[in-house]
Amino acid sequence: MTATTGQVDQAPPVTRRRPRVRAIEGQEVALIGVTGLLWLVLSLATDTFLTSGNLQNILFTVAPIALIGIGMTAVIVTAGIDVSVGSQAAVVMVVIALLVRDAGFAFLPALAVAVVSGLVLGALNGLLVAYGGIHPIIVTFGTLNIYRFVALQIFGSEQVAGVPGAFAPIGGGAEGRVFGVPVAWWLTLVLAAGMWCYMRFWATGRHLYAVGGDAFAARLAGVRVRRRQISAYVLTGACVGLAACVLIGSGGLVQQNVGAGLELRVIAAVVIGGTSIIGGRGTVLGTLLGALLVGTVTSAVTLLSWPTELTQLFIGGFILVAVGVDLLRERRRSAR
Amino acid sequence: MTDTRVPSAPGAAPPGGESLAQRVLRLALTERVVLLAVLLVVVVVWFRVLGDGGYLVAPYDVRYLGNALESMVPFALLAIAELFVIVSGRGGIDLSVGAIVSLAGMVFGLMVGEWGWPLLPSIVACVAVGGLLGAVNGALVAYLRFPALIATLATYYAYSSLALVSNANAPISTPPIVALHSLTRNVHLPLLPPVPLHVFTILVPCAVLAWVVLSRSTYGRSLYAVGTNDIAAGYATQPVTRTRFTAYVVSGLLSGVVALVTVAQFASARPDAGVVGNGMALPAITIAVLGGVAIQGGIGRVGGVVVAALLVTWLNAGMLLAFEGSEGSQYQLLALGLVLVLSALLNTLALRRYGRLA
Repeated sequence: MTATTGQVDQAPPVTRRRPRVRAIEGQEVALIGVTGLLWLVLSLATDTFLTSGNLQNILFTVAPIALIGIGMTAVIVTAGIDVSVGSQAAVVMVVIALLVRDAGFAFLPALAVAVVSGLVLGALNGLLVAYGGIHPIIVTFGTLNIYRFVALQIFGSEQVAGVPGAFAPIGGGAEGRVFGVPVAWWLTLVLAAGMWCYMRFWATGRHLYAVGGDAFAARLAGVRVRRRQISAYVLTGACVGLAACVLIGSGGLVQQNVGAGLELRVIAAVVIGGTSIIGGRGTVLGTLLGALLVGTVTSAVTLLSWPTELTQLFIGGFILVAVGVDLLRERRRSAR
Repeated sequence: MTDTRVPSAPGAAPPGGESLAQRVLRLALTERVVLLAVLLVVVVVWFRVLGDGGYLVAPYDVRYLGNALESMVPFALLAIAELFVIVSGRGGIDLSVGAIVSLAGMVFGLMVGEWGWPLLPSIVACVAVGGLLGAVNGALVAYLRFPALIATLATYYAYSSLALVSNANAPISTPPIVALHSLTRNVHLPLLPPVPLHVFTILVPCAVLAWVVLSRSTYGRSLYAVGTNDIAAGYATQPVTRTRFTAYVVSGLLSGVVALVTVAQFASARPDAGVVGNGMALPAITIAVLGGVAIQGGIGRVGGVVVAALLVTWLNAGMLLAFEGSEGSQYQLLALGLVLVLSALLNTLALRRYGRLA
């Protein structure tokens, strides 16, 4: 928050202060530490964790969450939230699964359709939030149901089986890897890097923080608040479109409950990554690390052959710790 | 940091010479109960007409409507729970109610079904467990100042995970649990269609109690004050933190009651009772918002929430009859989403136009 509003110091500082914008935030360092520690412990405790197959698997399963997290970071930074991403993913997945299977779409056209349909779904959220004057959680709770209805209607009360492997180039198989790393993850990294630069160096990117810090003040300062809000939801929709392609991956079966609960995992990754839920603070880098931590925990519970239901307990715990640490730092910052 | 601007100034007094149309509009927008009652009549009449025209697969009659009340009880109670929490302000919301229903229900199932506890202490313990889980939320939100959305998201994860682990992901339906089903049997009263027993034994007492607490007690006035503007309430010597904490405890207690109801209804304690599908929190929040609860806090009444729950219940019941197969439950999703967004739009409109909301 303080880094974004560009305050002018009242008195000239006695000592030269450190630049406000740091390349890496404290929370991100902590996350790297925790994840690294987990990896160390796991590779000592199990002999299956530190194998290329398992690491590839973690990266691939984390990729959709991280992809959507890129957009979700922007949304939450503007003090919004989008709980409809799971249903959005369901709509996009059933559409492209049918296109690939029945209309014989190739990789790129199907990808384009996915991104565009994601854009449209996101734009509806954005318009309702910006112009409807409704709280984002209410809007997206509503569209969560509406989009799920749309998806089920397209499904026509049966699942889509036998989807061919049009998306294998970004799927989880061997042809979906470059230099041993899943292409989906490369895609995530490139997009995240672009978004990181945008939110850090572009004027409109900084405006996202201003909107989240205080929308009223941002408007007075000349920020196009509504346009920025809409852009965040539209971006999330596009990310969902990409993630849907990754989720279909090498094809197979698309079930009707697909994407249910995805929104909570994405929000968990974003929040664990240090983005403040009340807006105005957070980075895409943190979200990537948060997603990685969630993926590591999920994998760890499986490898240690604990009950898989415990995964959620750990994710809940990590959310509380991450937000608690953030609150402490915030309190110290405002006390200074 | 938090937005402390009050949603609106006190309403400009309506000018004396407004036309009838304006008056009706104002009444419909500001008196939510009136609008909901009108909608309720419209829904019932509409489905009756459809039924007479032969478009429904079964008669939409008084007996059917009475039976449908069974599914109203949990959602009305949870919507009242959300009412308390949302009214308490500062982004108050409770996503964990469904998970509390699961976990408290499993604890109840273990106590009655596995450990052979007598019924009455188990009921008390089940509600108490709900209150305790709510107190965890309340401590996080009120005392540690976590954002409610995130705190209850985290506890949603934690509670639903514990509920699944508690009996290794298996439901409990031993004979003592199955016997509880009689608590939800239909009762035949004179002049009324058969109505599920727990409407009278649980829903009505809880709703009346909630109304008394919110409208006729010091705590209720304090809660509305805190939700409207907690800084002002603090200056007015209201116990802000404790009041907000209590709202989450109430939400947990009501979730504990719902846990009892669902165990009895299904004759089984299911580890995913409150979180399966879209879970219970989402419909509860929808009903609360439809019932005129403003998400900014400080505004909302029990009466509106109960009528909204009735409206949603009978609308859903009608849609199940209007479509064949699973289509009906799909259209329920559409209706739930549309109703949520439209009622929120209506709240915004009413706030903008009249500066108040009932």
